[in-house]
Amino acid sequence: MNLEEYKGVFVFAQQVDNKVSGIALELIGEGKRLAEKLSTEVTAVLVGSGVKDLADELAAYGADKVIVVDDPELKEYRTEPYAHALASVIDKYKPEILLVGATAIGRDLGPRVSARVHTGLTADCTSLEIGDFPINPIPGKEQKHNQLLMTRPAFGGNTIATIACPDFRPQMATVRPGVMQKLEKKEGAKAVVEEFNPGFTPDSKYVEIVEIVKNITDTVDIMDAKILVSGGRGVGSPENFKLLDDLAEAIGGTVSCSRAVVDAGWKSKDLQVGQTGKTVRPSVYFAIGISGAIQHLAGMEESDIIVAINKDETAPIFDVADYGVVGDLNKIVPMLTEQIKAAVANK
Amino acid sequence: MDFTLSKEHEMARSLFREFAEKEVKPLAIEVDETEEFPKETVAKMAKAGFMGIPIPKEYGGQGCDVLTYAICVEELAKVCGTTAVIVSAHTSLCCDPILTYGTEEQKQKYLPDLASGKKIGAFGLTEPGAGTDAQGQQTKAVLEGDEWVLNGSKIFITNGKEADVYVIFAITGMIEKRGRMTKEISAFIVEKGTPGFTFGTKEKKMGIRGSSTYELIFTDCRIPKENMLGQQGKGFGIAMHTLDGGRIGIAAQALGIGEGALDRTIAYVQERKQFGRAIGAFQNTQFQLADMATKAQAAQYMVYKAACTKDQYTKDHKTSYNVEAAMAKLYAAEMAMEVTTKAVQLHGGYGYTREYEVERMMRDAKITEIYEGTSEVQRMVISANLLK
Ligand SMILES: Cc1cc2nc3c(=O)[nH]c(=O)nc-3n(C[C@H](O)[C@H](O)[C@H](O)COP(=O)(O)OP(=O)(O)OC[C@H]3O[C@@H](n4cnc5c(N)ncnc54)[C@H](O)[C@@H]3O)c2cc1C
Ligand SMILES: Cc1cc2nc3c(=O)[nH]c(=O)nc-3n(C[C@H](O)[C@H](O)[C@H](O)COP(=O)(O)OP(=O)(O)OC[C@H]3O[C@@H](n4cnc5c(N)ncnc54)[C@H](O)[C@@H]3O)c2cc1C
Repeated sequence: MNLEEYKGVFVFAQQVDNKVSGIALELIGEGKRLAEKLSTEVTAVLVGSGVKDLADELAAYGADKVIVVDDPELKEYRTEPYAHALASVIDKYKPEILLVGATAIGRDLGPRVSARVHTGLTADCTSLEIGDFPINPIPGKEQKHNQLLMTRPAFGGNTIATIACPDFRPQMATVRPGVMQKLEKKEGAKAVVEEFNPGFTPDSKYVEIVEIVKNITDTVDIMDAKILVSGGRGVGSPENFKLLDDLAEAIGGTVSCSRAVVDAGWKSKDLQVGQTGKTVRPSVYFAIGISGAIQHLAGMEESDIIVAINKDETAPIFDVADYGVVGDLNKIVPMLTEQIKAAVANK
Repeated sequence: MDFTLSKEHEMARSLFREFAEKEVKPLAIEVDETEEFPKETVAKMAKAGFMGIPIPKEYGGQGCDVLTYAICVEELAKVCGTTAVIVSAHTSLCCDPILTYGTEEQKQKYLPDLASGKKIGAFGLTEPGAGTDAQGQQTKAVLEGDEWVLNGSKIFITNGKEADVYVIFAITGMIEKRGRMTKEISAFIVEKGTPGFTFGTKEKKMGIRGSSTYELIFTDCRIPKENMLGQQGKGFGIAMHTLDGGRIGIAAQALGIGEGALDRTIAYVQERKQFGRAIGAFQNTQFQLADMATKAQAAQYMVYKAACTKDQYTKDHKTSYNVEAAMAKLYAAEMAMEVTTKAVQLHGGYGYTREYEVERMMRDAKITEIYEGTSEVQRMVISANLLK
């Protein structure tokens, strides 16, 4: 492998139902930043059927170039044709870096591709940098420059690992959605579009999709929820949980609660977070009217972001909260819901 | 030095024992199984004067000494750990601080009903985040006009929901102490039924299952200004001093549990036969019993000494009894755990069943190493005194 041959930052521009996923735009934004450090360009790889029109949107968010792999076989995501498409793009264009969103699709696709092209992949990264590897020079060992340093939480978030891939290309990473910033939209921006079709021959490895079910499940296991809107005794009554239901609906979250709420009979035990309830680790945890007793904290302090709303500024929940609002939840929660609804509508 | 109990104490003991055998023992299994507070037994104890033993007669109590009270708890615990702790928490943790720190009005208002057992008392200090570290309180009391407004919650409160009068601790502000801002804690008397004072869950416990252990919840609970107990900001000291006394009660409970298990074991090993002989004929059994009895005896002297030292304190406030109380509780609790565990062993498979009651004593014993200051806390109190 001649590493010098590999140039440019590529991102997999995930689309579903011919709509660009948010993660694609985040990756372009991050890819642009990395590309600038390497004095190169960012290329989006758009895979699908009838997706060519989406190239302009990718350009508006900063893609310099878009490679489109358009084929009827790529209408819905399936492992085999998508892995073939992406691996073929790598073989032909030889990118130095390839970023994939750590979505359900990306987590399936990334490892397939990296194994196929024989390179390293770091999963679920939360931060990316260009720098030296090893970070600190080790006597007798060559320090390589301009490497992609991929940082991700490991061991359930207890440790942070920074990983590099010095000997193989492309340097691949799946990136956690929501951590990278997309760029300001530039209307009318145009990218260089290049079509590429490696050819698809369906075989037994092609999965047959029987049915795609898109409905919102009501009874989500709180341990699987990405966003939890959790209420405590401060919510005051079972009826008042309506406020939390509204917020949860607006933000796509699930309602959970403290033991005090279960004890009061307002919610069922399977929604209880804590030592004797469930241990949760969502991306965002709203603690609303929850004091933050240690038995509760033990079940949620590993959440990526904790937002506390409590009228008592000395409540222990604020010790673990990333963001806190001191005030009456009856006023704050509806306002927050409105703001979120407005933000979603403007998106 | 005289190691014999006075005639009065002996008489009191036989009274307590008779009551325990007749009224408490027959219900002990049921109380444990149903996890129900023995309301009727408590009413009977009230009638018999058990609910106000060390309270002076002028406040409606029996006017007896602490030793008599300790003997009462001990005798009750021999047959039912639950019943013993109901009396102990009521007397040591609620009546005693009101007697020690209350104003004359407060004593007149609360003690007669408590001492007669018409009302039951409880003590609310522990919170989810404040156990051994009682300073970690979150419950707050804010003075608004003529009322204190309480907000917060308490957890694991013995006699919770059954009690009428609660001695509660809450933060009333921040004060500077050795250059650092620390919480100023004060004590209050709160009555059941005050708006904003409700109960949370009843805990499901390993032992002392008939004693009700509840969460207390205060939401904008307004109590009259004059319900502050002792001076503002003296709450922590009041709590600690109250617990010093309470430990004598728990030490007596542990002592009783251990002795009760020992009594049953002595009877059992003489009845049970294996290898053609009573198992009491095996030297292992004999030596176990010897150790159990020796430790129970040692514990008894320690408990009685702590009680007598507290009586001394009542007469002359220069005497302190905190070390005696800590040693008595530490030793008696560990004795109870060890003795009940051995009692189950000597009962063999039968001891593991709920029919033979020693398993209940073993479950009940464990808590004595935990509440009113864990054994570790007692060791802290004792060693602090050694190294001061
Ligand atoms: C054996 C055992 C196991 C336990 N296990 C668990 C467990 O698994 N999970 C768990 O959660 N707990 C558990 N607990 C209970 C725990 O100790 C606490 O009692 C409980 O977490 C408190 O719940 P909370 O925060 O909802 O209520 P509280 O502590 O009463 O807090 C209510 C909060 O709401 C705020 N508030 C009130 N009104 C408003 C308003 N209008 N606007 C904004 N804020 C307001 C108050 O300031 C307060 O901070 C356990 C306890 C025991 C004894
Ligand atoms: C929950 C449970 C499950 C069980 N499961 C099974 C099972 O699956 N299969 C099965 O066969 N049995 C089972 N058993 C029975 C069990 O094996 C017996 O209970 C056990 O062997 C003790 O017998 P014992 O109850 O007659 O006690 P005892 O023989 O009366 O012993 C009482 C005490 O005397 C001591 N002792 C007895 N003899 C001597 C001696 N010579 N020298 C010194 N000390 C002595 C014992 O150690 C004990 O401390 C079970 C029992 C229980 C409680």
